[in-house]
Amino acid sequence: MKAKKLIGLLLGMGGFAAAIAFPLEGLGLAGQLTLGIFTLAAVFWIFEPIPIFATSMLVILLQTMLLSSQGFIFSVGNAPKTELALEAYQSQEVFRVPETALSAEETLIVVEGTKIASKPKVVVVANEGEESLVLADELDAGSTVLKNANHRSVTAGANSYAKFYGALSNPIIILFLGGFALAASAVKFGLDRNLTRFLLKPFGYKPQSVCLGLMLCTGALSAFMSNTATTAMMMTVVLPIIAGLKTSDPFRKGAALSIPVAANIGGIATPIGTPPNAIALAALKEQGISISFSSWMMMAAPFAIVLLLIAWKLLMILFKPESDECRIEISGKSKRSPKAFLAYAIFGVTVMLWVTEKLHGLSTSMVAFIPIALLPAMGVLDKKDIRGFSWEVLWLVGGGISLGISMSDTGLAEWIIGRIEWDGFGAIGVVIVFGVVGYLVANLISHTVAATMLMPLAITVGSAIAVTSGDFNLVSSIVAITVIVSCAMVLPISTPPNAIAMSTGFLETKDMARVGIVVGLISVVMAIGFAFFVWPLLY
Amino acid sequence: MDKICMLCVDDEAEVLEAVERDLSALEDKFPLETASSVEEAKTVLASIEKRGDELGVIFCDHVMPDVTGVEFLVWMENSEEWKKTRKTLLTGQAGQDATVTALNEAGLDYYIAKPWTKEKLHDVAKSQLTQYVIETGKDPLEYMAVLDAQALANVMHDHGLVSDE
Repeated sequence: MKAKKLIGLLLGMGGFAAAIAFPLEGLGLAGQLTLGIFTLAAVFWIFEPIPIFATSMLVILLQTMLLSSQGFIFSVGNAPKTELALEAYQSQEVFRVPETALSAEETLIVVEGTKIASKPKVVVVANEGEESLVLADELDAGSTVLKNANHRSVTAGANSYAKFYGALSNPIIILFLGGFALAASAVKFGLDRNLTRFLLKPFGYKPQSVCLGLMLCTGALSAFMSNTATTAMMMTVVLPIIAGLKTSDPFRKGAALSIPVAANIGGIATPIGTPPNAIALAALKEQGISISFSSWMMMAAPFAIVLLLIAWKLLMILFKPESDECRIEISGKSKRSPKAFLAYAIFGVTVMLWVTEKLHGLSTSMVAFIPIALLPAMGVLDKKDIRGFSWEVLWLVGGGISLGISMSDTGLAEWIIGRIEWDGFGAIGVVIVFGVVGYLVANLISHTVAATMLMPLAITVGSAIAVTSGDFNLVSSIVAITVIVSCAMVLPISTPPNAIAMSTGFLETKDMARVGIVVGLISVVMAIGFAFFVWPLLY
Repeated sequence: MDKICMLCVDDEAEVLEAVERDLSALEDKFPLETASSVEEAKTVLASIEKRGDELGVIFCDHVMPDVTGVEFLVWMENSEEWKKTRKTLLTGQAGQDATVTALNEAGLDYYIAKPWTKEKLHDVAKSQLTQYVIETGKDPLEYMAVLDAQALANVMHDHGLVSDE
């Protein structure tokens, strides 16, 4: 095992133990356990001693076992109990129970198996030492009651384990699944390749305009497909272009870089573009705010297009093409089978329904199920295609959503936020802090993970400030933080598209870093500008 | 550890030298082993296995003393460890019968006739190694810079080998 993995493993488990071992003021047991899980997950996600989706699965397991109302710690099944026996007291038949078994409302808590069966009201006839004698018509001898009515299994309000599992069927996850189904059919029938061939035509043969065409095309595709799949496809288009250029032409690097940059930016444009969007949408949904496909696009797409144009200009300045002409040839013919036609039709209908939510009222996640059900039903996708979905991404996002539930329900998010005095920051300060931290973190680790760790905290601060200060727009701020995370693309490890571009061997890390840093800084400034001046007008 | 090697088997030392020269561009990533007989080749295979490496492609002469190249390739095809290795004949003298045997029983992937050109040998090595990487499900990113990047990107795209995490 490599040293980094070992360090991660030990640090993660040590962090877990430390978070639980020492009592923290203001944080209950459930909160501390969640802090432990959060610490472990964060360390594992950063050092990757196990795959990042496996960490997400582990998070759900730990939540189920440690935090659920059926788990080891908060299950009433494991709480101390006493069996009721009748005894005579002044010609009455009474039960003897510990004083603590009575709640403030003078009820007992009857447990059957691992569930609370009832909370019958009782009449206290006498107290003897630390025990009470109670009359209870509704109770039979042999019933089991909790010895302590204020036991953590009752008061902590732990979630059922089903709620953690439920993260996997969260409407946002279903939305992504719908996106996967569409993308799989697009790939299967070459829709993406055909679209590229069609869209690139008007851009001619001048390197500058070809590059713009490549970037717009990549951006448009990655808005609906995975950024990585888009990059892989566009690389097959760009590699022959690069091969046709002179070795000394700086445009070789520019072309190779244009794809990952555009793919990363394109993912911002729609809710299904990239997983961090899912994390943001799920976090907003927890706050009762639903954002439609079209609202997201209205906010994010113009941002993405402007940023894409800036990135293109930047690439043309940094890697000025030498030649006046470059040839593009995209191999393959468009497929015209009936199934291909069905795939195109369902793609078109789904996207249309997504952007016209205001007209028909079907929510984004409801529409997402149309391709999920229809594509296999019509034989467009088969068993093998469904196995080929990026299920690990859904697990990653699902684990993130599940962790977010516990972070807000146990008060952990609020507690962490409480460590910092936010009043002086003001609305803009909060977005800057989270944006900058998110940007730095997301350059080093997975964007989804960065969003997962930051979003519950950002939403907590955001909602608190939204209440006290009128000029704070929660949705705008969360979208701003999300797009900033997506614009972290300085290093080859920052995003999978970067890794692909880097592995072609045409680039050096410093080329990528130069472009990544400039685009990143511009994106941070732009996102904050949009969040305070443009998006509040829309949402 | 975990390196994909190439192997050239030929009883003429000049051929081995020429192959080494022609494939030097690939050697950093894919170490080239040589052997002058089948017996020696088996020793090389044993040492590759011991190191935990793999054999991606073999270039094998046919007419050699003791065991012929085609017999050796058939033996490899029927072994567990070397079945996946891409098998090519690099020869001027394999008759029709031997070539048919190689195709049918050794899963021959390519036939390079002597004399060969540097470009030809390099291209064959590259495409066979690319196939090997694809078929054994290796991480394509690691090989894009040296092998057929376009074919590897295509596989990544079609099979969703890398995801947005």
